[in-house]
Formats: sequence, structure tokens, C-alpha cells
Amino acid sequence: MTSAEVKFFENVIETTENCRYCLMCRHTCPVGLGTHNETLTPHGWGLTIASVKRGLLTWNDETVDALYSCADCGNCRAHCVFDQPLPDAIAAARAEVAAQNLAPAVVYEFDEMFKQWGNPYQPQAPEPASHQGDVALFVGDESLYLWPSALEAALKLLKAIGIEPVLVGSGRSNGYLASSLGLPETARSLAQAVIEDVKASGASQLLVLSPGDAFAFNRLYVERLGMAWPDDVIVQEVTVLLAEKLEAGELTITPLDDETPYVYMDPTHTVRVPERVEAPRNLLSALYQRPGIEVFWRKDRAHPAGNTALQFTQPDLSNQLTMGRLYDALSVGARRVICEDPGTLSALKPGAERVKLDLVGLYELLADHV
Amino acid sequence: MAQSAAFTSEMIRSELEEIVGQAYISTTETDKLIYSTDWAWMPQMWLDRGERLATPDYILHPGTKEEISAIVKLANRFRLPVVPWGGGSGTQGGALSIYGGILIDTKRLDKIIEINEKALTVTAQAGINGSQLEWALNEKGLSLMHYPASANCATLGGYLAPRGSGTISTKYGKAEDLVMRFEVVLPNGDIIRTPHVPNHASGPDYMRLFLGSEGVFGIFTEVTMQVDYQPEARLLRAVLFESVANAVEAGRRIMTRRLDPMVIRMYDPGSTASQVKQFLGYELEGAYMVIGWDGDPDIAALQEQKGMEICTELGARDLGREPGEHWWEHRYDFYYPPKSLKLPWMYGTTETVTTYDRLETLYYAKKKAIEETYKDHNAKYIGHFSHWFHWGASLYDRFIVEEPPENAQEALRLHNRIWNTAITTSLEHGGMVNEHHGVGLKLGRYMPRQYGEAWPFLQTLKKAIDPNGIMNPGKVGFGF
Repeated sequence: MTSAEVKFFENVIETTENCRYCLMCRHTCPVGLGTHNETLTPHGWGLTIASVKRGLLTWNDETVDALYSCADCGNCRAHCVFDQPLPDAIAAARAEVAAQNLAPAVVYEFDEMFKQWGNPYQPQAPEPASHQGDVALFVGDESLYLWPSALEAALKLLKAIGIEPVLVGSGRSNGYLASSLGLPETARSLAQAVIEDVKASGASQLLVLSPGDAFAFNRLYVERLGMAWPDDVIVQEVTVLLAEKLEAGELTITPLDDETPYVYMDPTHTVRVPERVEAPRNLLSALYQRPGIEVFWRKDRAHPAGNTALQFTQPDLSNQLTMGRLYDALSVGARRVICEDPGTLSALKPGAERVKLDLVGLYELLADHV
Repeated sequence: MAQSAAFTSEMIRSELEEIVGQAYISTTETDKLIYSTDWAWMPQMWLDRGERLATPDYILHPGTKEEISAIVKLANRFRLPVVPWGGGSGTQGGALSIYGGILIDTKRLDKIIEINEKALTVTAQAGINGSQLEWALNEKGLSLMHYPASANCATLGGYLAPRGSGTISTKYGKAEDLVMRFEVVLPNGDIIRTPHVPNHASGPDYMRLFLGSEGVFGIFTEVTMQVDYQPEARLLRAVLFESVANAVEAGRRIMTRRLDPMVIRMYDPGSTASQVKQFLGYELEGAYMVIGWDGDPDIAALQEQKGMEICTELGARDLGREPGEHWWEHRYDFYYPPKSLKLPWMYGTTETVTTYDRLETLYYAKKKAIEETYKDHNAKYIGHFSHWFHWGASLYDRFIVEEPPENAQEALRLHNRIWNTAITTSLEHGGMVNEHHGVGLKLGRYMPRQYGEAWPFLQTLKKAIDPNGIMNPGKVGFGF
């Protein structure tokens, strides 16, 4: 084990000890609030891990099921005054369980997919960067396989502000899902491949389509995987860049004459990148000439949709989170839900159709009006 | 015998399953362990040392009051203990399933039924999370004005069960003062509602019987609380007194002259040197006091001016607005690990309340009793004065032993001995057993002494309301 890894494990053990009897983030944990079960809260996960350590519980189907019920959404940490990295500690505990072959079978199935194809969705190898340039755009796997129209629209928007990025990481997972499933080595391999792809592109600016990607590159790699992101490559969300250009008068949006009550749905992982919350809202306000309705679980307390590791390990819980977001929108009178994250959009789509909410991609909507 | 018990257990489980549905009953070992402890030091330490606690036999998540009623009726039939559970944030062991039985987690009852912007009330199910309720009120420019440190995990029912206080209770009252009416499932399963207003002359106020009952008289299912408009202004500042005596006197004068502060938080010199330094970053000697007014900006400013005149008269040094506002922003940081008090340390919050004529004496008596009696254990005693009334104030005091015995039994005995010293000293000096954390399991043994000849009366009430003694047995001094 490297010294960085030793420090990481000491840190996560200390975190578990701290969180096991702390109840201060209970109000934000979407799984705890949704299941109403003490075991499925940050305190519950912390105490479960600590109790295994003390021999009061063992890793078995029951405890592993509980361990794999955390959404790894970051809400607990985002609301912790002392920034306790409990999601990292849970991921470390999952890694321990997975290494003992005690994880849910689906974890190992997806491990094979990640190793062979670099993504959990399609048996297709990632495409390397085709050429070099100053600005690259991380495509990833979700925009390619789950919601491809976002990529096309984002490229059109970028072209409108004079940017034609090199596409990198096309079809490759950013490593978050693997790390969340308790597969740190696989996650590191994926991260390494992303980093090499970005380096090969020669870019000094990497644009990303979602806060999930921004979180992965800016924080997850270094904090959870112990990997350094290249110092000379700045990561920025497309939405944030567009909002900056709008404010600077370098992007013109044609107003949309539409009275449909809309909400902007903060994507999964927003709480991990809270500084980004106004950018998409500003873009939409320019488009609609009015702000959207706000849902209850928004901005720095935004709950995730089901597009986390739960979609593989706990599909019912994942669906519950997704429907929670949609009911939140319905409860404030929205008829249209707008979001830019391919993963979140993909998760919301079936439920949105069921409850008759008009689900629209932000990039696609904007691309038609620049 | 074991097979027989298992058979009975399964039969009861099936009946419970019929009431709440298969998805809302758990008998897993993991859930039992997690629900075996609340926020009390004793069970947490017990698990920390690798020891097992008594657990509930069945953990239920009912979704309606009717389901709770049916569960309670079943419990009477089988003579099973029923332990209500809200957020599990109680510090006195009030939610421990010491006799096993049925644990009723109320958190599925989490709906807001009505926010009445004319009457300024909110009606919600009792299992709603405190911060979630506050956020919902904030959306409409309102606030519950009940800001306990436990709000992020406690439930609305949990606010009332131990008669909790919040940061600004000095102006707005304790949870018990904010409640308008509630619905409760009685120990026989009946569901009753108190009148829609709390202040009237239409007979005895039986509502009060349930406030502070910690589940021994029933389970809250729906509550209507008063709410307020969010204040236009919040004026905070900090002052420093050389002595506790002058600080207490300043608080007394401010309160008895009805200057209506929202908060007076006075840290004793020990807390000032440790807590204020650690959490707020101020290195000061003396008694640090944060004082604040809210509401109409002009009225608040005038009240602040009058209050500061009193502080100045008593020799306080005005530290300005920033240290008060900084405290306000960070007032809950004290409860977050790793900086909060946490295991393996031993600690206990032996908070109490008394009248102004006894307050200072009570503080020094407890400090002396704990520090001298447990000198060998290097017991530290710190405190702050946090909830002020027209007639007195609460003393939120704590003992801390940084190197307690490793052995769980020895640690628990020492812990109980220190508590005994603290509570006995409180009672001897006119303090109450508790001001806002409740009684739970830990302090039940002091109830006969606290209430004297009135205790048999309370026992008679308990017997009448809960003849089978099923509701939260072993708590608040009542047995099983």
C-alpha cells in the first residue's frame, strides 16, 4: 500500500467512527428520508461498518444489502460542517466486501463490463481522441449510450461561441460508478485511461456535460482514488461556460414564447459542485424571460435521481429516488422538467412519461434558440 | 422452549405484517442493532466497547395513525412493550428497547397537512423531520422558531415528547409553548385529539399530560404548531463579563425588565476557554455571552440598546457584532464530530433549570461536586446558561472524563455515579432533574425524589391510562 493509500484508509476509518453516532445530516439523506429506516442513513451505515469492525455484525447478505443501499450522492458530506468523507468511507467498505466476494453478483458482472468495454452500458470499446486541440470535451459513456442528443446539442452551442472541442473519453466511464460499487482498482484504471486520453488531446481546458463529471475529475480522482488530475488541465462544465458567455454578451439566446410552467432539475451530484447551480438557471431565464419554478429539493440540497450505483444494486430504491424528483416537480405545479445531465435525463425519462411530465434536455432546448 | 418462543414470535410477526404490510416490518439483525441505540452516551459506549444491547423484537414503520392504533391494541393483547421512535436523537435513553417488544418508527408519518398563513399555524404528521419542516415553512416566509441542535434528525413528535428547547426559546418558548393541539394514540389504541386552541377555560388542560411524557402515555401522530413570520432583523452581538455572577445578573435584569431577547447564551469561563476557543476561534478569559434580538428592526435595535446598557452597567466588555453573528452561523458546529464530544471520552449533559435566586449557587455547587468528587478521574465541568425565563434560566452543564475505564461495565458505573452526583446536587439546590432533554431511562430513578408526594399521583395516572404498562416501559421512572 502506498502512503497515500494508508492515509486514505486511516481517514475513512476515522470518518466511520465519527459518523456512526452523528445525526446531523439526516435531513438531507435521500435514502434515509425515502426509506424512513435508520439503518439506511449515514448514521446507520457508519454504525454498521463500525459494528462489523467490533465483531457485533458480520458482512453477510443482510449487512451487504444495507451497505449497498447508500446512493453515494454526496448530500451527507455537503451538509457536514467538518466535511467528513462518509461516501468515501462507504466506498472503501464496499471495496473490502467486494474483495471478499461478498458483494452483490451484479457488482462483479459490471466489473467485467468496465474492464472489457470501459462502460457498463454497451459492449463497445471507447474511442480515443481523434486529434489535438486547446479545448476538449469529455463525452463519457452516458451521453453516448443513454442520451446522445445532449452531445450533439452541446457541440452546436459550443460552436455558437466559437469552440470546436476535441472529443475525449467517448464511450468511457469516468470511474465514479466503479468506485461507488466498491471496485477501486477498476475505477483507477478507468480514471487513468481518461487522464491519458485528455493528455493525448493536448487540451488545457476540459469541458464536461454534467456536474457528475466535474466532481469526478476535480475531486473523486484525488480524494477517493488517490490519483492526481493533470495540473495544466482546467475542468469546466459546458453550462457554466455558456452562462459566462451569456453574461459577457458573447452568446445570444432567442427568447422562447412558451408559458409552460417549468422547473430546472438539478442533476445528480449537484450538491458536490454547488457553485454551479445558478448557471443553468440563468440560461433558462434568458430563454424563457422568466425564472422557473423551484422544486423543494434543489440547489445545495438537491436530491439525486436514480442514476447512481443504486441503479445496478438496488433498482427499486433507485427508481424511488427518481420518482421522488418527479413528484417534487409535480407538487410545485411544473409541467416541464429541464435538465442537461445525460445520466439524470435518462433516469428521469420513464417516470416522466408515466406521470406525464414533459422532459427536455437543456442543451437541446438552448441549441434550438441560439 | 426456544422453538416455542420462535413459534410465538412468528405468529405475532404475521399479525403485525397484516397491519403494516410486509415491507414495513423488520426483524433483521442489522436493523435490530442500529435501533438498539439512541443518542445517549450509555448505549453508544456499550456498542463502542463491543458489547451487545437489548434490541427490539420487531421494528415497524406504520404509515397511518390507524396502523399505530392497531399495533398498540395487538401489543396489549400479547402484553408486548411498545417503544415509540422518532429521530433517535434523545440523549437520555428514552428510545431504548430495554425489554424488547415492538419499536414503532414514526418517520413515515412525514406529511405537512396544512400551513395556515392566516392563523399562523402548521399542521403536520408527527414523524416529519424538523429541518425539513422548517425549510417548508421558510418557503412561505415563515418559521417554526424552534431551533434545537437536533433539528436535522429529530421529528416534530420528538420535539414535544421531552419538552424540548431551541436556541431562541428565550423569546419564542419551548416546543411545549408553541404547540396548539395534537392527535395522540393512547396506550389502549384509542385515537384522540386535543381542542384546536391551547388556551381556554373549558376544563382541565389534559394536553399538558402528554408533553414530556416521552411515549409513556401515547404516541403523537399529528401536531399543530404556532409559526411566526421570519424576522426582518436579527441583531446579535457578544459581550465578555469578568464573572459568572455579573453575567447571570445581566441576564436576569434583561429578562425581568421584559426586553424580550431571542437568545442569551452565556458560557462559563471553562466553556469560554475551551468550546468558544475551539469552535469560534476566540481566545478570551471570562464569561462570553452572546445576546440577540429579532423582529422589527427599530424595536430590536431599541431593545438591544437597553440590553447593552445593562451589560455595560455590570462591567461587560462589548465585543461587537461580529462575534455574535459568527456564533449564530456556527451555533450547531459544537454538535458535529470530530470536534464534538465523542467516544471514547465519557461525558454527560446534566442540564437543569432553576430560579434566579438559586442559579449561581446551583452552578458552583455542581461544579464543585463533580470536580472534587471525581478528581481522580480528572473530571472536567463546563456549562453555559442558555434558555432564559422571566423567573430563572437553564444551566446547560456537562462533565467530561477524557480517560474513562476501558471496561464497559466499569465505565457505565462511573458514568452513573457522576450523574448521581450531578442530579443529587441539582435537586439539593433547587434545580430540576432536567430542563429540556427529558428523563428517559437514565434519570427515571430521580422521579420519586423530584416529585415527592406527587409521584404516586403520577403513577396512578400511568396505571389508569396504561393498565398493562406496555408504553415505553422503564422510562420516565415508570416500570413495566
